[in-house]
Amino acid sequence: MSGRPVPTPSALTAPFWDATRRGELRMPFCDGCGSWFFTPEARCPRCLAAGWRYRGVAGTGTVYSVTVVHRAPGPGFDVPFALAIVELDEGVSLLSHVVGVAPEDVRIGQRVRVRLRPLTERITVPEFAPEDPTS
Amino acid sequence: MSRDDARRAVVVGVHATDQALSLPHRTPHDLALEAALGAIRDAGLDPREVDGAQLDWSGPGGAAGEGSSWARLLGDLAWTSDAQLDNSGVRGLLKASAAVGAGLAHTVVVGGCKLVSRGTGNAPVGAGAPLEFADVWGSYVVAQFALVAARHMHRFGTTPEQLALVAATIRNAGSTNPEAMMAGRGPYSVADVLASRLVATPFHLLDCCIVGEGGAAFVVTTAERAADLPATPVALLGGAMEYHQAAYADPPRYDEVGQIGRRAGARAFGAAGRGPQDVDVFALYDPNSFEVIRQLEALGLCAEGEGGPLVETGAIGVDGKHPVNPDGGCLAHAWNGTQQMSLRVIEAVRQLRGTAVHQVPDARTAVVANAGAGAQHYELAVLGRLS
Repeated sequence: MSGRPVPTPSALTAPFWDATRRGELRMPFCDGCGSWFFTPEARCPRCLAAGWRYRGVAGTGTVYSVTVVHRAPGPGFDVPFALAIVELDEGVSLLSHVVGVAPEDVRIGQRVRVRLRPLTERITVPEFAPEDPTS
Repeated sequence: MSRDDARRAVVVGVHATDQALSLPHRTPHDLALEAALGAIRDAGLDPREVDGAQLDWSGPGGAAGEGSSWARLLGDLAWTSDAQLDNSGVRGLLKASAAVGAGLAHTVVVGGCKLVSRGTGNAPVGAGAPLEFADVWGSYVVAQFALVAARHMHRFGTTPEQLALVAATIRNAGSTNPEAMMAGRGPYSVADVLASRLVATPFHLLDCCIVGEGGAAFVVTTAERAADLPATPVALLGGAMEYHQAAYADPPRYDEVGQIGRRAGARAFGAAGRGPQDVDVFALYDPNSFEVIRQLEALGLCAEGEGGPLVETGAIGVDGKHPVNPDGGCLAHAWNGTQQMSLRVIEAVRQLRGTAVHQVPDARTAVVANAGAGAQHYELAVLGRLS
Protein backbone atom coordinates (compact mmCIF):
# COMPACT_ATOMS: atom_id res chain seq x y z
CA MET A 1 0.00 0.00 0.00
CA SER A 2 2.58 2.55 1.23
CA GLY A 3 0.67 5.65 0.30
CA ARG A 4 -0.92 4.85 -3.05
CA PRO A 5 -4.23 6.76 -3.01
CA VAL A 6 -7.09 4.34 -2.40
CA PRO A 7 -10.56 5.33 -3.62
CA THR A 8 -13.30 6.02 -1.11
CA PRO A 9 -16.47 4.70 -2.75
CA SER A 10 -19.56 6.92 -2.68
CA ALA A 11 -23.18 5.85 -3.13
CA LEU A 12 -22.66 6.64 -6.81
CA THR A 13 -19.50 4.60 -7.25
CA ALA A 14 -19.85 1.75 -4.74
CA PRO A 15 -21.40 -0.64 -7.33
CA PHE A 16 -18.29 -0.22 -9.51
CA TRP A 17 -16.00 -1.23 -6.64
CA ASP A 18 -18.40 -3.95 -5.44
CA ALA A 19 -18.18 -5.47 -8.92
CA THR A 20 -14.39 -5.34 -9.22
CA ARG A 21 -14.13 -6.99 -5.80
CA ARG A 22 -16.34 -9.79 -7.13
CA GLY A 23 -14.13 -10.09 -10.21
CA GLU A 24 -16.25 -8.16 -12.71
CA LEU A 25 -15.79 -4.88 -14.57
CA ARG A 26 -19.10 -3.02 -14.76
CA MET A 27 -19.49 0.44 -16.28
CA PRO A 28 -22.30 3.03 -16.26
CA PHE A 29 -24.80 2.39 -19.06
CA CYS A 30 -27.87 4.46 -19.88
CA ASP A 31 -30.84 2.45 -21.18
CA GLY A 32 -32.54 5.73 -22.07
CA CYS A 33 -30.09 6.68 -24.83
CA GLY A 34 -28.14 3.44 -25.12
CA SER A 35 -24.79 4.96 -24.23
CA TRP A 36 -21.94 3.95 -21.97
CA PHE A 37 -20.17 6.63 -20.01
CA PHE A 38 -17.38 7.03 -17.47
CA THR A 39 -16.69 8.44 -14.90
CA PRO A 40 -19.99 7.82 -13.05
CA GLU A 41 -22.24 10.87 -12.81
CA ALA A 42 -25.58 11.38 -11.08
CA ARG A 43 -27.23 11.57 -14.48
CA CYS A 44 -26.32 10.32 -17.93
CA PRO A 45 -24.10 13.05 -19.42
CA ARG A 46 -25.69 12.56 -22.85
CA CYS A 47 -29.44 12.53 -22.14
CA LEU A 48 -29.59 13.55 -18.46
CA ALA A 49 -31.54 10.40 -17.53
CA ALA A 50 -31.23 9.55 -13.84
CA GLY A 51 -32.05 5.86 -14.23
CA TRP A 52 -28.79 4.53 -15.62
CA ARG A 53 -27.26 1.28 -14.28
CA TYR A 54 -23.93 -0.49 -14.05
CA ARG A 55 -23.64 -3.14 -16.74
CA GLY A 56 -20.95 -5.73 -17.28
CA VAL A 57 -18.39 -5.27 -20.05
CA ALA A 58 -16.28 -7.85 -21.86
CA GLY A 59 -13.07 -6.44 -20.34
CA THR A 60 -11.23 -6.17 -23.64
CA GLY A 61 -10.17 -3.05 -25.44
CA THR A 62 -7.39 -1.06 -27.03
CA VAL A 63 -4.88 1.46 -25.76
CA TYR A 64 -6.16 4.90 -26.87
CA SER A 65 -3.18 6.78 -25.43
CA VAL A 66 -0.34 6.02 -23.07
CA THR A 67 2.28 7.91 -21.07
CA VAL A 68 5.18 6.31 -19.25
CA VAL A 69 5.24 8.04 -15.90
CA HIS A 70 8.76 8.44 -14.53
CA ARG A 71 7.94 10.96 -11.81
CA ALA A 72 5.06 9.67 -9.70
CA PRO A 73 2.63 12.18 -8.19
CA GLY A 74 3.28 10.79 -4.71
CA PRO A 75 4.36 7.74 -2.77
CA GLY A 76 3.05 4.26 -3.44
CA PHE A 77 3.92 3.90 -7.10
CA ASP A 78 6.80 1.99 -8.63
CA VAL A 79 8.17 4.03 -11.53
CA PRO A 80 8.21 3.89 -14.42
CA PHE A 81 4.63 2.76 -15.05
CA ALA A 82 2.37 2.92 -18.10
CA LEU A 83 -0.65 5.16 -17.47
CA ALA A 84 -3.11 4.66 -20.30
CA ILE A 85 -6.51 5.64 -21.55
CA VAL A 86 -8.06 2.27 -22.40
CA GLU A 87 -10.97 2.28 -24.81
CA LEU A 88 -13.12 -0.74 -24.06
CA ASP A 89 -14.72 -2.59 -26.95
CA GLU A 90 -18.08 -1.21 -25.79
CA GLY A 91 -16.74 2.26 -26.68
CA VAL A 92 -16.24 3.71 -23.20
CA SER A 93 -12.81 4.81 -21.93
CA LEU A 94 -11.10 4.80 -18.56
CA LEU A 95 -7.72 5.67 -17.10
CA SER A 96 -5.75 2.64 -15.95
CA HIS A 97 -2.36 0.97 -15.99
CA VAL A 98 -1.06 -1.39 -18.63
CA VAL A 99 0.94 -4.10 -16.87
CA GLY A 100 2.59 -7.37 -17.79
CA VAL A 101 4.80 -5.66 -20.36
CA ALA A 102 7.66 -3.16 -20.12
CA PRO A 103 6.04 0.29 -19.83
CA GLU A 104 7.99 1.66 -22.80
CA ASP A 105 6.70 -1.19 -24.97
CA VAL A 106 3.02 -0.28 -24.54
CA ARG A 107 1.70 1.01 -27.86
CA ILE A 108 -1.32 3.05 -28.89
CA GLY A 109 -3.72 0.67 -30.60
CA GLN A 110 -2.46 -2.35 -28.66
CA ARG A 111 -5.13 -4.91 -27.66
CA VAL A 112 -5.52 -5.33 -23.90
CA ARG A 113 -7.63 -7.32 -21.46
CA VAL A 114 -8.61 -6.40 -17.92
CA ARG A 115 -6.88 -7.85 -14.85
CA LEU A 116 -8.26 -7.16 -11.41
CA ARG A 117 -5.77 -6.34 -8.70
CA PRO A 118 -6.78 -6.18 -5.04
CA LEU A 119 -5.29 -3.12 -3.32
CA THR A 120 -7.17 -3.37 -0.01
CA GLU A 121 -9.95 -5.54 1.37
CA ARG A 122 -12.48 -3.07 -0.05
CA ILE A 123 -10.79 -1.88 -3.25
CA THR A 124 -9.82 -3.98 -6.25
CA VAL A 125 -8.59 -1.93 -9.22
CA PRO A 126 -8.88 -2.84 -12.87
CA GLU A 127 -5.58 -2.92 -14.75
CA PHE A 128 -4.94 -4.10 -18.27
CA ALA A 129 -2.42 -6.46 -19.83
CA PRO A 130 -1.71 -7.26 -23.47
CA GLU A 131 -4.25 -9.74 -24.83
CA ASP A 132 -1.47 -11.67 -26.47
CA PRO A 133 1.70 -11.13 -24.45
CA THR A 134 3.84 -11.89 -27.50
CA SER A 135 2.19 -9.27 -29.70
CA MET B 1 -18.66 57.94 -27.66
CA SER B 2 -21.72 55.73 -28.16
CA ARG B 3 -23.21 54.03 -25.12
CA ASP B 4 -21.73 50.68 -26.23
CA ASP B 5 -18.29 52.19 -26.80
CA ALA B 6 -18.42 54.03 -23.49
CA ARG B 7 -19.10 50.83 -21.61
CA ARG B 8 -16.52 48.73 -23.44
CA ALA B 9 -14.30 47.00 -20.88
CA VAL B 10 -10.66 48.03 -20.78
CA VAL B 11 -7.69 47.03 -18.65
CA VAL B 12 -6.11 50.13 -17.11
CA GLY B 13 -3.81 48.79 -14.41
CA VAL B 14 -1.58 45.76 -13.87
CA HIS B 15 0.81 44.60 -11.18
CA ALA B 16 2.82 41.44 -10.63
CA THR B 17 4.64 40.87 -7.34
CA ASP B 18 8.00 39.18 -7.13
CA GLN B 19 7.76 35.66 -8.54
CA ALA B 20 10.10 33.13 -6.96
CA LEU B 21 10.46 29.47 -6.12
CA SER B 22 9.55 30.39 -2.57
CA LEU B 23 8.64 33.64 -0.81
CA PRO B 24 8.74 32.41 2.79
CA HIS B 25 8.66 35.92 4.27
CA ARG B 26 5.38 36.71 2.50
CA THR B 27 1.83 35.44 3.06
CA PRO B 28 -0.64 34.87 0.22
CA HIS B 29 -2.81 37.65 1.69
CA ASP B 30 0.10 40.08 1.78
CA LEU B 31 1.04 39.22 -1.82
CA ALA B 32 -2.58 39.53 -2.95
CA LEU B 33 -2.81 42.93 -1.27
CA GLU B 34 0.39 44.12 -2.95
CA ALA B 35 -0.89 42.88 -6.31
CA ALA B 36 -4.31 44.54 -5.97
CA LEU B 37 -3.06 47.87 -4.64
CA GLY B 38 -0.22 47.86 -7.16
CA ALA B 39 -2.63 47.39 -10.06
CA ILE B 40 -4.89 50.15 -8.70
CA ARG B 41 -1.90 52.48 -8.37
CA ASP B 42 -0.74 51.58 -11.89
CA ALA B 43 -4.18 52.64 -13.11
CA GLY B 44 -3.70 56.04 -11.49
CA LEU B 45 -6.59 55.35 -9.10
CA ASP B 46 -7.12 55.57 -5.36
CA PRO B 47 -8.31 52.31 -3.74
CA ARG B 48 -11.57 54.06 -2.83
CA GLU B 49 -12.29 54.64 -6.51
CA VAL B 50 -12.61 50.90 -7.05
CA ASP B 51 -16.10 49.47 -6.58
CA GLY B 52 -15.56 45.84 -7.54
CA ALA B 53 -13.28 43.15 -6.08
CA GLN B 54 -12.63 39.74 -7.62
CA LEU B 55 -9.80 38.73 -5.34
CA ASP B 56 -8.48 35.34 -4.36
CA TRP B 57 -5.89 34.32 -1.79
CA SER B 58 -5.20 31.29 0.31
CA GLY B 59 -4.90 32.94 3.72
CA PRO B 60 -4.08 33.59 6.43
CA GLY B 61 -5.80 36.96 6.68
CA GLY B 62 -9.24 38.12 5.69
CA ALA B 63 -11.74 35.44 4.81
CA ALA B 64 -9.70 33.47 2.29
CA GLY B 65 -11.14 33.75 -1.20
CA GLU B 66 -13.99 36.09 -0.20
CA GLY B 67 -13.46 39.32 -2.09
CA SER B 68 -16.05 41.03 0.09
CA SER B 69 -13.70 40.88 3.06
CA TRP B 70 -11.78 43.65 1.28
CA ALA B 71 -14.82 45.91 1.31
CA ARG B 72 -13.56 48.21 4.07
CA LEU B 73 -10.30 48.80 2.26
CA LEU B 74 -11.89 49.47 -1.09
CA GLY B 75 -14.81 51.52 0.17
CA ASP B 76 -18.31 51.00 -1.14
CA LEU B 77 -18.08 47.70 -3.01
CA ALA B 78 -20.83 47.08 -5.54
CA TRP B 79 -19.44 43.83 -6.97
CA THR B 80 -17.57 40.82 -5.59
CA SER B 81 -16.81 37.27 -6.64
CA ASP B 82 -15.66 34.39 -4.45
CA ALA B 83 -14.48 31.59 -6.74
CA GLN B 84 -10.79 31.25 -7.57
CA LEU B 85 -11.07 30.81 -11.34
CA ASP B 86 -13.52 33.72 -11.51
CA ASN B 87 -10.93 35.87 -9.75
CA SER B 88 -8.00 35.04 -12.01
CA GLY B 89 -6.84 35.62 -15.54
CA VAL B 90 -9.13 35.53 -18.52
CA ARG B 91 -12.20 34.27 -16.74
CA GLY B 92 -11.80 37.01 -14.14
CA LEU B 93 -11.34 39.54 -16.94
CA LEU B 94 -14.46 38.37 -18.76
CA LYS B 95 -16.61 38.45 -15.64
CA ALA B 96 -15.34 41.87 -14.61
CA SER B 97 -15.97 43.05 -18.17
CA ALA B 98 -19.53 41.72 -18.02
CA ALA B 99 -20.02 43.61 -14.75
CA VAL B 100 -18.77 46.96 -16.03
CA GLY B 101 -20.54 46.48 -19.35
CA ALA B 102 -23.84 45.91 -17.57
CA GLY B 103 -23.27 48.89 -15.31
CA LEU B 104 -23.17 46.70 -12.18
CA ALA B 105 -19.82 48.21 -11.22
CA HIS B 106 -17.49 50.75 -12.85
CA THR B 107 -14.00 49.67 -11.75
CA VAL B 108 -13.09 46.11 -10.74
CA VAL B 109 -9.79 44.78 -9.44
CA VAL B 110 -9.11 41.12 -10.33
CA GLY B 111 -6.34 38.89 -9.01
CA GLY B 112 -4.65 37.78 -5.82
CA CYS B 113 -2.28 35.06 -4.75
CA LYS B 114 -3.10 31.40 -4.31
CA LEU B 115 -0.10 29.41 -3.16
CA VAL B 116 -0.45 25.77 -4.10
CA SER B 117 2.67 24.86 -2.18
CA ARG B 118 1.34 26.03 1.18
CA GLY B 119 -1.88 24.04 1.17
CA THR B 120 -4.03 26.52 3.10
CA GLY B 121 -7.54 27.53 2.22
CA ASN B 122 -9.29 26.04 -0.77
CA ALA B 123 -7.57 23.29 -2.70
CA PRO B 124 -6.38 24.44 -6.10
CA VAL B 125 -8.04 23.02 -9.15
CA GLY B 126 -6.51 19.70 -10.10
CA ALA B 127 -4.84 19.15 -6.74
CA GLY B 128 -6.02 18.36 -3.28
CA ALA B 129 -9.53 17.17 -3.96
CA PRO B 130 -9.49 13.37 -4.37
CA LEU B 131 -10.22 12.17 -7.90
CA GLU B 132 -11.61 8.69 -7.44
CA PHE B 133 -10.89 7.36 -10.92
CA ALA B 134 -7.57 9.13 -11.51
CA ASP B 135 -5.49 9.25 -8.31
CA VAL B 136 -5.44 5.49 -7.80
CA TRP B 137 -3.58 5.09 -11.09
CA GLY B 138 -1.08 7.82 -10.35
CA SER B 139 -2.64 10.22 -12.81
CA TYR B 140 -1.83 13.89 -12.27
CA VAL B 141 -1.75 17.13 -14.22
CA VAL B 142 1.46 16.51 -16.19
CA ALA B 143 0.41 12.95 -17.05
CA GLN B 144 -3.03 14.05 -18.23
CA PHE B 145 -1.51 16.57 -20.65
CA ALA B 146 0.99 13.87 -21.69
CA LEU B 147 -1.86 11.55 -22.70
CA VAL B 148 -3.20 14.24 -25.03
CA ALA B 149 0.25 14.92 -26.48
CA ALA B 150 1.00 11.22 -27.02
CA ARG B 151 -2.15 10.70 -29.07
CA HIS B 152 -1.42 13.80 -31.18
CA MET B 153 2.10 12.53 -31.86
CA HIS B 154 0.71 9.10 -32.81
CA ARG B 155 -1.89 10.54 -35.14
CA PHE B 156 0.03 13.37 -36.79
CA GLY B 157 3.68 12.43 -36.39
CA THR B 158 4.45 15.35 -34.11
CA THR B 159 7.98 14.78 -32.79
CA PRO B 160 9.74 15.13 -29.43
CA GLU B 161 12.11 17.55 -31.20
CA GLN B 162 9.19 19.82 -32.12
CA LEU B 163 8.01 19.79 -28.51
CA ALA B 164 11.54 20.51 -27.31
CA LEU B 165 11.82 23.43 -29.74
CA VAL B 166 8.75 25.02 -28.13
CA ALA B 167 10.26 24.56 -24.68
CA ALA B 168 13.65 25.91 -25.74
CA THR B 169 12.13 28.95 -27.50
CA ILE B 170 9.95 30.04 -24.58
CA ARG B 171 12.57 29.16 -21.95
CA ASN B 172 15.20 31.16 -23.82
CA ALA B 173 12.87 34.18 -23.85
CA GLY B 174 12.55 33.82 -20.08
CA SER B 175 16.28 33.34 -19.75
CA THR B 176 16.85 36.96 -20.84
CA ASN B 177 13.87 38.40 -18.90
CA PRO B 178 15.18 39.80 -15.59
CA GLU B 179 11.69 39.40 -14.08
CA ALA B 180 11.57 35.68 -14.83
CA MET B 181 12.16 33.03 -12.20
CA MET B 182 14.53 31.38 -14.67
CA ALA B 183 16.39 34.58 -15.61
CA GLY B 184 19.97 33.75 -16.51
CA ARG B 185 19.23 30.02 -16.80
CA GLY B 186 19.97 28.74 -20.25
CA PRO B 187 20.04 29.21 -23.13
CA TYR B 188 18.69 25.75 -23.89
CA SER B 189 18.99 23.82 -27.12
CA VAL B 190 16.57 21.21 -28.37
CA ALA B 191 19.17 18.63 -27.36
CA ASP B 192 19.28 20.06 -23.82
CA VAL B 193 15.52 19.65 -23.46
CA LEU B 194 15.64 16.09 -24.79
CA ALA B 195 18.54 15.28 -22.47
CA SER B 196 16.68 16.42 -19.35
CA ARG B 197 15.12 13.62 -17.32
CA LEU B 198 11.77 12.18 -18.30
CA VAL B 199 8.76 13.19 -16.21
CA ALA B 200 5.93 11.51 -18.14
CA THR B 201 6.52 10.64 -21.78
CA PRO B 202 6.70 12.54 -24.06
CA PHE B 203 7.55 15.25 -21.51
CA HIS B 204 11.04 15.83 -20.16
CA LEU B 205 11.68 18.07 -17.19
CA LEU B 206 12.40 21.06 -19.45
CA ASP B 207 9.17 20.46 -21.40
CA CYS B 208 7.23 21.19 -18.21
CA CYS B 209 6.45 24.48 -16.48
CA ILE B 210 8.11 25.62 -13.30
CA VAL B 211 6.34 25.97 -9.93
CA GLY B 212 6.73 28.96 -7.66
CA GLU B 213 5.04 31.63 -5.61
CA GLY B 214 3.79 35.12 -6.38
CA GLY B 215 0.75 37.32 -6.87
CA ALA B 216 -0.76 39.25 -9.76
CA ALA B 217 -3.71 41.58 -10.37
CA PHE B 218 -5.23 43.90 -12.93
CA VAL B 219 -7.94 46.58 -13.02
CA VAL B 220 -10.88 46.60 -15.42
CA THR B 221 -13.01 49.66 -16.05
CA THR B 222 -15.05 51.22 -18.84
CA ALA B 223 -13.62 53.02 -21.84
CA GLU B 224 -15.42 56.14 -20.65
CA ARG B 225 -13.56 56.15 -17.31
CA ALA B 226 -10.31 55.02 -18.91
CA ALA B 227 -10.23 58.20 -21.00
CA ASP B 228 -9.33 60.14 -17.84
CA LEU B 229 -6.61 57.72 -16.69
CA PRO B 230 -2.89 57.82 -17.49
CA ALA B 231 -2.21 54.36 -18.93
CA THR B 232 -2.73 53.32 -22.54
CA PRO B 233 -6.12 51.59 -22.30
CA VAL B 234 -6.20 48.01 -23.53
CA ALA B 235 -9.66 46.99 -24.66
CA LEU B 236 -11.40 43.64 -24.51
CA LEU B 237 -12.36 43.15 -28.16
CA GLY B 238 -13.78 39.64 -27.75
CA GLY B 239 -13.79 36.81 -25.26
CA ALA B 240 -15.15 33.31 -24.84
CA MET B 241 -15.06 30.17 -22.72
CA GLU B 242 -15.31 26.48 -23.58
CA TYR B 243 -15.81 23.43 -21.36
CA HIS B 244 -15.73 19.67 -21.70
CA GLN B 245 -15.61 17.61 -18.50
CA ALA B 246 -14.25 17.72 -14.96
CA ALA B 247 -10.63 18.85 -14.94
CA TYR B 248 -8.13 16.02 -14.41
CA ALA B 249 -10.88 13.56 -13.38
CA ASP B 250 -12.13 12.18 -16.70
CA PRO B 251 -9.92 10.49 -19.32
CA PRO B 252 -8.57 13.28 -21.58
CA ARG B 253 -9.19 11.73 -24.98
CA TYR B 254 -7.54 13.70 -27.79
CA ASP B 255 -10.62 13.33 -29.99
CA GLU B 256 -12.68 15.07 -27.30
CA VAL B 257 -10.31 17.67 -25.85
CA GLY B 258 -7.53 17.94 -28.45
CA GLN B 259 -9.10 20.90 -30.19
CA ILE B 260 -10.55 22.58 -27.11
CA GLY B 261 -10.42 26.31 -27.67
CA ARG B 262 -11.42 26.12 -31.34
CA ARG B 263 -15.07 26.97 -30.70
CA ALA B 264 -14.22 29.55 -28.05
CA GLY B 265 -11.64 31.06 -30.39
CA ALA B 266 -14.17 31.34 -33.21
CA ARG B 267 -16.57 33.16 -30.90
CA ALA B 268 -13.94 35.50 -29.53
CA PHE B 269 -12.42 36.33 -32.93
CA GLY B 270 -15.93 36.80 -34.33
CA ALA B 271 -16.78 39.31 -31.63
CA ALA B 272 -13.47 41.10 -32.14
CA GLY B 273 -13.87 41.30 -35.89
CA ARG B 274 -10.30 40.01 -36.20
CA GLY B 275 -8.81 36.65 -37.06
CA PRO B 276 -5.92 34.65 -35.65
CA GLN B 277 -3.59 35.91 -38.40
CA ASP B 278 -4.24 39.49 -37.20
CA VAL B 279 -2.83 38.72 -33.75
CA ASP B 280 0.59 40.27 -33.09
CA VAL B 281 1.39 38.41 -29.86
CA PHE B 282 -0.01 35.45 -27.92
CA ALA B 283 0.06 34.97 -24.14
CA LEU B 284 -0.94 31.32 -23.87
CA TYR B 285 -1.02 28.75 -21.11
CA ASP B 286 2.16 26.71 -21.46
CA PRO B 287 2.06 24.10 -18.71
CA ASN B 288 4.13 22.04 -21.12
CA SER B 289 5.63 22.36 -24.57
CA PHE B 290 2.95 20.42 -26.43
CA GLU B 291 0.09 22.58 -25.22
CA VAL B 292 1.47 25.47 -27.29
CA ILE B 293 1.49 23.34 -30.46
CA ARG B 294 -2.08 22.27 -29.74
CA GLN B 295 -3.26 25.84 -29.29
CA LEU B 296 -1.63 27.03 -32.54
CA GLU B 297 -3.94 24.52 -34.23
CA ALA B 298 -7.05 25.10 -32.14
CA LEU B 299 -6.81 28.88 -32.53
CA GLY B 300 -6.64 28.48 -36.29
CA LEU B 301 -3.04 29.53 -37.04
CA CYS B 302 -2.59 26.26 -38.93
CA ALA B 303 -4.50 23.09 -39.70
CA GLU B 304 -4.91 20.35 -37.11
CA GLY B 305 -1.72 18.31 -36.98
CA GLU B 306 0.46 21.05 -38.50
CA GLY B 307 1.42 22.77 -35.25
CA GLY B 308 4.74 20.91 -35.06
CA PRO B 309 5.90 21.92 -38.55
CA LEU B 310 4.70 25.49 -37.89
CA VAL B 311 6.90 25.67 -34.80
CA GLU B 312 9.88 24.49 -36.88
CA THR B 313 9.60 27.66 -39.00
CA GLY B 314 10.48 29.73 -35.94
CA ALA B 315 6.93 31.08 -35.76
CA ILE B 316 6.61 31.33 -31.98
CA GLY B 317 9.81 33.28 -31.29
CA VAL B 318 9.69 36.93 -30.23
CA ASP B 319 10.65 37.87 -33.80
CA GLY B 320 8.54 35.12 -35.37
CA LYS B 321 5.27 35.29 -37.23
CA HIS B 322 3.20 34.31 -34.17
CA PRO B 323 5.18 35.25 -31.04
CA VAL B 324 4.12 33.19 -28.01
CA ASN B 325 4.95 34.14 -24.41
CA PRO B 326 7.86 36.55 -24.96
CA ASP B 327 8.09 36.90 -21.16
CA GLY B 328 8.96 33.22 -20.76
CA GLY B 329 5.46 32.07 -19.85
CA CYS B 330 4.87 29.37 -17.27
CA LEU B 331 7.90 27.51 -18.60
CA ALA B 332 10.38 30.15 -17.45
CA HIS B 333 8.76 33.36 -16.19
CA ALA B 334 6.46 32.04 -13.45
CA TRP B 335 3.78 29.58 -12.51
CA ASN B 336 2.36 30.56 -9.15
CA GLY B 337 -0.91 28.67 -8.80
CA THR B 338 -4.13 30.12 -10.15
CA GLN B 339 -2.76 33.63 -10.63
CA GLN B 340 -0.40 32.47 -13.37
CA MET B 341 -3.55 33.13 -15.40
CA SER B 342 -3.38 36.82 -14.43
CA LEU B 343 0.32 36.92 -15.34
CA ARG B 344 -0.70 35.98 -18.89
CA VAL B 345 -3.17 38.89 -18.96
CA ILE B 346 -0.47 41.24 -17.65
CA GLU B 347 2.01 40.20 -20.36
CA ALA B 348 -0.59 40.80 -23.07
CA VAL B 349 -1.44 44.23 -21.63
CA ARG B 350 2.22 45.23 -21.41
CA GLN B 351 2.81 44.12 -25.01
CA LEU B 352 -0.09 46.33 -26.14
CA ARG B 353 1.13 49.24 -24.03
CA GLY B 354 4.58 48.83 -25.58
CA THR B 355 6.21 48.26 -22.18
CA ALA B 356 7.01 44.54 -22.29
CA VAL B 357 10.53 43.33 -21.49
CA HIS B 358 10.71 41.51 -24.83
CA GLN B 359 8.52 43.84 -26.83
CA VAL B 360 6.93 42.71 -30.09
CA PRO B 361 7.27 45.85 -32.24
CA ASP B 362 4.03 47.83 -32.57
CA ALA B 363 1.85 45.08 -31.11
CA ARG B 364 -1.78 46.11 -31.60
CA THR B 365 -3.72 42.90 -31.09
CA ALA B 366 -3.03 40.21 -28.51
CA VAL B 367 -4.66 36.95 -27.52
CA VAL B 368 -4.48 35.78 -23.94
CA ALA B 369 -5.68 32.30 -23.02
CA ASN B 370 -5.85 30.11 -19.93
CA ALA B 371 -6.26 26.39 -19.27
CA GLY B 372 -6.21 23.77 -22.01
CA ALA B 373 -6.64 20.18 -23.07
CA GLY B 374 -5.66 18.38 -19.88
CA ALA B 375 -7.75 20.84 -17.87
CA GLN B 376 -10.69 20.18 -20.22
CA HIS B 377 -11.64 23.86 -20.29
CA TYR B 378 -10.38 26.97 -22.07
CA GLU B 379 -10.87 30.70 -21.82
CA LEU B 380 -9.48 33.33 -24.13
CA ALA B 381 -9.65 37.05 -24.73
CA VAL B 382 -8.73 39.13 -27.76
CA LEU B 383 -7.24 42.40 -26.55
CA GLY B 384 -6.34 45.48 -28.51
CA ARG B 385 -5.28 49.08 -28.18
CA LEU B 386 -8.37 51.23 -27.92
CA SER B 387 -7.22 53.83 -30.42
